[in-house]
Amino acid sequence: MTFRLTCPVCGARDVYEFRYGGPERGMRPAQEDLSPEEHFRWTQFRTTRPAPQEEWWYHAAGCGVWFSTWRNPATNREEGPAT
Amino acid sequence: MTPAGPGALRLERLWEQRPLKRSYDVIIIGGGIHGLATAYYLAKEHGIRDVAVLERQYIGFGGSGRNTAIVRANQRTQENVRLYDEGLKLWPILTDELDYNLMFFNCGNLNLAHSEAAVNAFRLSVNTANFNHVESELLDAQSCKELIPILDVSDKPKYPIQAGMYHPPGGVLRHDAVVWGLAKGAAEHGVDIHQGVEVQGIDVQGAKVTGVRTNHGPIECAKLGVMAGGYGAEVCAMLDLELPVHPLTIQAMVTQPLKPFLHHVVSSGAYHVYANQTLKGEIATGAHMDPQVNYTTDATAHYFKHQAEALTDFMPALKGARFLRIWAGLADMTPDMAPILDGNVGFDGLYLDLGWGYFGFKSGPVAGKYMAEFIARETCPEILEPFALDRFLENRYMGETATTMKYGHWD
Repeated sequence: MTFRLTCPVCGARDVYEFRYGGPERGMRPAQEDLSPEEHFRWTQFRTTRPAPQEEWWYHAAGCGVWFSTWRNPATNREEGPAT
Repeated sequence: MTPAGPGALRLERLWEQRPLKRSYDVIIIGGGIHGLATAYYLAKEHGIRDVAVLERQYIGFGGSGRNTAIVRANQRTQENVRLYDEGLKLWPILTDELDYNLMFFNCGNLNLAHSEAAVNAFRLSVNTANFNHVESELLDAQSCKELIPILDVSDKPKYPIQAGMYHPPGGVLRHDAVVWGLAKGAAEHGVDIHQGVEVQGIDVQGAKVTGVRTNHGPIECAKLGVMAGGYGAEVCAMLDLELPVHPLTIQAMVTQPLKPFLHHVVSSGAYHVYANQTLKGEIATGAHMDPQVNYTTDATAHYFKHQAEALTDFMPALKGARFLRIWAGLADMTPDMAPILDGNVGFDGLYLDLGWGYFGFKSGPVAGKYMAEFIARETCPEILEPFALDRFLENRYMGETATTMKYGHWD
């Protein structure tokens, strides 16, 4: 079953209107002296847990805004961080 | 309702269900083809019979029972081609060994190119295949139509067909039969298969794996194999092990049964579609992946529409055929679309066989064969060396992505 994401501009919209931008990874490490290993650790080295994560989305077929939201990969529903 | 008399249906269990022990030499998490094949080869080739395969659901619940059962060995990189080629040659051997009909049908795969760039990518793949003694050839559009008469090779489709890459030794199997046959074979060699046993934690002492905690209590082991397909990363998260594995949902569907008319596997990267006609007559077709990481197997109407539009654009004769069923499974994608096959990762005794993406079915038995050797001899077989996790840290990606489109947020 498909699900909806909440765009901060347009409200709840079908997920296929959006492009997934990956999990929030913090600041990009400084480019100077950045080793392949450090770059890889920042971009890729992260196991997806079946728990809510903060991630980036782009409303490609809508208003074109980039925004971050919390979603649970175990359920595909928007769900805030465990408190 | 068992019929009586000569030729009566014999209802026999495929394997003997033995009680769950508290300790095994080797525990394998995941009762799919990778886990079952590894257990089978551990027992048969290496005499390690004190092996348990733990499956959270039932065997073949995950990707092993959800894929579109297509096999081929015309990948892009040499390391992959070598592995998949041996995997392709294993199917008839396994059919004999297991004494079980895996319904291997080597009907050949035709991959379509719709642009000059795609034709050039095919040239590279064909040469890689031929260099490694794998049958593969480039066909012009008219030759494609001779193979598959319902192809529209005119300029009417949105992406007109320019050429095709034909790979005669590929084909399809019955994926359930592979699961059942391997389970039968593994159990005959002494492997325990336990369904409904969910691993909820992994025990370690110092830097060594010592066992697992399950919904049926703790079980000790000397070696642990994580071969849980799309759920493998979820298992590794129990150890706080970071992996560049992104679980994505991939959907597939079948139409109503039709008379036989599609005699090869046909696929197209530009349309994001692959299809074959099953022995029952259904057109089985797989779609592109949903873009966001997730562990669900949700199917969506979006892909009914997508597949219908794509398939009927270059095979217009399919217009009017009705879809009967849709389902979804998980593809555990890595950044270079090649798997992670490694041992003693982070912890002694921990073996990983995951990250296959959507190549997990075709590789099952061959991966099992070499992972069994890895676990038994504690040294990595040469053929698996390129697939170590460290390759990413050393910036040695496999380059399989050269032939593909967008596969997620890492491109």
